[in-house]
Amino acid sequence: MIRRPIPRWLVATLSLVGFAILIGLYSWLSIRQTQKNPEQTILPSLSGFQAGFQKILKPQGSETSPKPAMLWSDLGATYLRLFLGMLVGVILSVMVGVAMGAYRYVEALLSPAISFLSKIPPTAMMPVYFVMVGTDQKMFTAMVALGIFFTMAQSVYQAARKDVSDDAINKAYTLGASDGEIILDVMFRQILPRILDNIRLQIGPAMVFLLAAEMLVGGQGMGYRIRMESRILNLSVVYIYLVILGTSGLLMEWALLNFRRKLFPWFGE
Amino acid sequence: MYALEIIDLNHYFGSFRVLYNVNLQIAAGQIVAIVGPSGCGKTTLLRAILGTDPPKEGKVLAAGREMRAPDRDVGIVYQNYVLYDFLTAEDNVAFGLTLDGTSLFSRILGLPNFLRKRREHRQRAREFLDRVNLHAAHGRYPSQLSGGMKQRVAIAQAFILQPKVVLLDEPFGALDENTRESLQMMLLQFYKENLQARAEKRPPPYTIIIVTHELNEALYVADRVIGLSRFHTDSDKGATVVYDRPSPVFRPEDPRDFSKFIEQREELRRAVFEPSYVKHHTKYVSFWNEIAAAKVESNGDSQLDMD
Repeated sequence: MIRRPIPRWLVATLSLVGFAILIGLYSWLSIRQTQKNPEQTILPSLSGFQAGFQKILKPQGSETSPKPAMLWSDLGATYLRLFLGMLVGVILSVMVGVAMGAYRYVEALLSPAISFLSKIPPTAMMPVYFVMVGTDQKMFTAMVALGIFFTMAQSVYQAARKDVSDDAINKAYTLGASDGEIILDVMFRQILPRILDNIRLQIGPAMVFLLAAEMLVGGQGMGYRIRMESRILNLSVVYIYLVILGTSGLLMEWALLNFRRKLFPWFGE
Repeated sequence: MYALEIIDLNHYFGSFRVLYNVNLQIAAGQIVAIVGPSGCGKTTLLRAILGTDPPKEGKVLAAGREMRAPDRDVGIVYQNYVLYDFLTAEDNVAFGLTLDGTSLFSRILGLPNFLRKRREHRQRAREFLDRVNLHAAHGRYPSQLSGGMKQRVAIAQAFILQPKVVLLDEPFGALDENTRESLQMMLLQFYKENLQARAEKRPPPYTIIIVTHELNEALYVADRVIGLSRFHTDSDKGATVVYDRPSPVFRPEDPRDFSKFIEQREELRRAVFEPSYVKHHTKYVSFWNEIAAAKVESNGDSQLDMD
């Protein structure tokens, strides 16, 4: 029967089985590849991964001026870029989205232009960013911020328009609210959990733009490292980085979801 | 001064005339029911009073001040509740007190005077919720309340600010029979407070306009019934007030005896809802005359004494 409920233990077991199949499949491919060519690094074995870990965890720099290991500097660089870019993008898109939801003339002015710009793939815009903002930290921030801005401004605007009815606004006026109070105490509070959901959903696309940019320019970061290591066919580092990206993505998603549930119990699922 | 006064109100959409020469004076403490066929302009009139769609011609005065935009002088209760999802029942009721009594600045900064006032507002909201029989639901969010409970919260939310007039737009239309009856009873309770205030020479605290399509509800809950309709001799000019008479007064403890107004119900139905019954629109508009007559008869001791 479709959608027949299953016991919890079975759910847990099956999700573990899913991962086991993934690992099993990889091991089988890796062993077969090693049989063909014992020196292969495309599907590295356990010892290959050991070497990979040693490489990325080895402290850099000299004895006198030590620098953090490759993994930490890459992780730090990428997530700092992600954080700064998201921060700027979220603040801008919330301000613009709420203004569009609140004032018809802002809506008329910006809505068509933003729909148009949101249809251009942000990765295709990269050359424009390189030329206009350069290739340093500012570029990555601008890239991520603008990459999520257009889509997110649209969703915030939709939420501000649809989740806050005209009746709710008129009633707030009858309860003595000013325009500013309607924007902050009614609209913003009503759509706050949706903003949080949007942030969660935009991390994925933001990482796509960021990694793509890092593969093209920049001297550190997850994307840069993945590209460099794959060029010398050192896939063990690449796989480790991919697993780290997947795990941190899951963690952020889980954290934001629980944060929202805890903070906005009224919002439901 | 009247709680609400409508002077020569005309409204039209393009060349389609909706409301024609509506004049009304509503005194503080009245519970006025407005009935009329669907599409007769009840909603248009309501929006004009609320101030969201001011009339093309004429004026709406709330306690003498013209309404050109919605504000705290005219409260509203919608059929579909329109509560704020992000606030608990208690905070929904306190919302008006908060918006009205504290500044955005002090709220954002969480200043001590705001925190003190918030405690006081919550306390008052809790007391009001007790009065509408919702003591158990203080901390619940609207999504956790039934339709009847939501409407009680919405009524408390509008009434706690004691605006000059509260508009109820088909407030019980979406509720089941049983819930509807208990909410009608609640309105009678407010009316009783008005009577008590008047007996103690205080101004009555609640003035209510209830739009409904239920004639029994109109006659049962209100002390004055107004019919809005196009079925009069100037029908091409739009709908206007074709019926305005006192209606029997019930107290919450009285039995729901609809036979008390069976004749008036028939008169009201014919005057307002019968397309073939064309008459001059002032034929059944006699509320203030009847009040004056009753006053003379009983030496000014009328229950409906409005001054």
